Amino acid sequence: MNNHSNISNSVNNTTTSTSPQDLGLHFLEMARLGLPRGLCDMDEDEDSPTELNTINSSGGFLLVTPDKLSVKYTNVNLHGHDVGVVQANKPAPVKRLVYYFEIHVKDAGAKGQIAIGFTTESFKMRRQPGWEPNSCGYHGDDGLLYRGLGKKEPFGPTYTSGDTVGAGINYASQEFFFTKNGIVVGAVEKDMKGPLFPTIAVHSQNEEVQVNFGQKSFAFDLKLFEAQERMKQQTTIEKLSLPSNVSYRIVRSYLQHYGYEDTLSAFDMACKSTVPPIYIAQENGFDEQDIMYALNQRKTLRQLIRKGEIDAALGKLSEWYPQIVQDEKSATCFLLHCQKFIELVRAGALEEAVKYGRNQLGKFYGLPGFQDLVQDSVALLAYEQPQESPVGYLLEDTQREIVADTVNAMVLSTNPNVKNLQGCLHPYLERLLRQLTACCLVRRSLNGDQGEAFQLHRVLNSIKKSKC
Amino acid sequence: MSLFWIVIRQFAENEAMATSKKVITREEWEKKLNDVKIRKEDMNKLVMNFLVTEGYVDAAEKFRMESGAEPEIDLATITDRMAVKKAVQCGNVEDAIEKVNDLNPEILDTNPQLFFHLQQQRLIELIRNGKVEEALEFAQEELAPRGEENQSFLEELERTVALLAFEDVSNCPVRDLLDISQRLKTASEVNAAILTSQSHEKDPKLPSLLKMLMWAQDQLDEKAAYPRINDLSTAMLEDPPV
Repeated sequence: MNNHSNISNSVNNTTTSTSPQDLGLHFLEMARLGLPRGLCDMDEDEDSPTELNTINSSGGFLLVTPDKLSVKYTNVNLHGHDVGVVQANKPAPVKRLVYYFEIHVKDAGAKGQIAIGFTTESFKMRRQPGWEPNSCGYHGDDGLLYRGLGKKEPFGPTYTSGDTVGAGINYASQEFFFTKNGIVVGAVEKDMKGPLFPTIAVHSQNEEVQVNFGQKSFAFDLKLFEAQERMKQQTTIEKLSLPSNVSYRIVRSYLQHYGYEDTLSAFDMACKSTVPPIYIAQENGFDEQDIMYALNQRKTLRQLIRKGEIDAALGKLSEWYPQIVQDEKSATCFLLHCQKFIELVRAGALEEAVKYGRNQLGKFYGLPGFQDLVQDSVALLAYEQPQESPVGYLLEDTQREIVADTVNAMVLSTNPNVKNLQGCLHPYLERLLRQLTACCLVRRSLNGDQGEAFQLHRVLNSIKKSKC
Repeated sequence: MSLFWIVIRQFAENEAMATSKKVITREEWEKKLNDVKIRKEDMNKLVMNFLVTEGYVDAAEKFRMESGAEPEIDLATITDRMAVKKAVQCGNVEDAIEKVNDLNPEILDTNPQLFFHLQQQRLIELIRNGKVEEALEFAQEELAPRGEENQSFLEELERTVALLAFEDVSNCPVRDLLDISQRLKTASEVNAAILTSQSHEKDPKLPSLLKMLMWAQDQLDEKAAYPRINDLSTAMLEDPPV
């Protein structure tokens, strides 16, 4: 990973005991998430099979080509213990919805005794997948599915020269499935545990098979299959019913939390005028008061920061909430000064920026948790076109938003009625999304890490079909 | 006596079975929650998606200014869509049909069911307003030919015309057709069709995510005891039953 995460770990290790200082540190962390690499797919780091394992294969009976993606049976088969079988170099990854690979039968050889399937690490490398316990295989010569000693069942069509056959693991339904020429042949319960290796076998003279671990496009439309699988789950979920107007309440509390006052009043107005009107006044009046706390001041501060008028925001803060800017070395002050510096760079006032940096940012240099942001900010000076530079993220709108969110949280924390400072950090919406993510992650880890994690990002981009 | 102990032991074993679920304390759970990073940008998108899909154009506009979130669709199209929806909600079905056709004539051409429901709503409004003759004429000329094409249309038409058979409709078996909910149903059908024609999802994402949360908690319940959120509108963590 990058050096940022090390620092952030040391900063963000307190969970339950939160002090107002910690609130600022939380946003320091958020500022780092602004980095494009800050938050990406955590599932992508899992290794996938890339080629065939030539060390562990049944050498002598088969020949693996130098690119390690094709096999050929070079012997004459005499019995059931001279199968040419080879596993992938890595087990199938599990932290996803589906794993899938394909073979193309170049030559069905003398008897077409080709098989595709999955085996565990301890598999006997002289036998067909499916002939032994803890293995399964779809065989070309008879179209049967073999699952362990003496267990076979009618499954699909036979396959031969020119056919493309695929094998997959559906972690959501806990099934193996197989395809022939891009069409699903069938699925069976996945009754094997532990790392499973994609496995192929050839067992008669001149049989030749090419394997595709995703380097080339599949004959099977995997993306569509995944979308359909997700849709199945979604259909179950959509049947649940929600308490009335709960979405409205959550949106409303989000707007209140972040001080989006104008949006809030437009939203309230619109809710009243719909047919029938939507009443979302909170039953618990106390809560309402707390969340409306200093709404107008929070809105003003946010507007100033979003416009880049940091001095004005600092001025208002020391007038309204001097306690927030009292500690010059707090994360809040740091983020504000940092932003002021960034705004100077944006305006092209570089000399002034240098001066400001020396006065205000210098003292944070060397402090753990601050150093990387100071460095990145100062680095802006080094580029003729800072927007295009690796630290260009600092000039984006989201950076201003983070500073505005910091100030917003600090103002919320001055409310004498606040019982739990965590509440100043996270609107209801965020707490719900965290709970959702945590539930999915924990469930997956209790399920042998199998399956796909929930990612808000993916849900949001599902229309555009783009990936993180 | 020995039986007593067997029962007790059995009871204890059952208890152990029941509690063999993994227990996650509040402290452990909060740590897990803290490790989850949700991007502000993404939450803004979610809120914007809600405002846009539900048709709160003014709020969406303000939200764009206050948060910088970009709407996924031209806000002007929301105004048109909401005008159609409102027209149906107020019973001005003719007006609504005209507006939909102004927006995109393909919408009604390609949705015979939607078109039928709009016409049916028009008939309902005529009956509501006591225009019996006009209603009959409209039913015969516009709706009956469609009923011939489609059995389910025919049944709905018959049900609607049945309104004319009662002196006191407030007490008749098909009175639900005169209910406001019937208008809302038709209005939301039009709304969905317009959104689909704009290649936009017809439902906002937020309610689906909330349902997903309820589902995910239920799923995890089978494997673990952990702090749950039972009241979505307060997002309050509640300790697992001990």
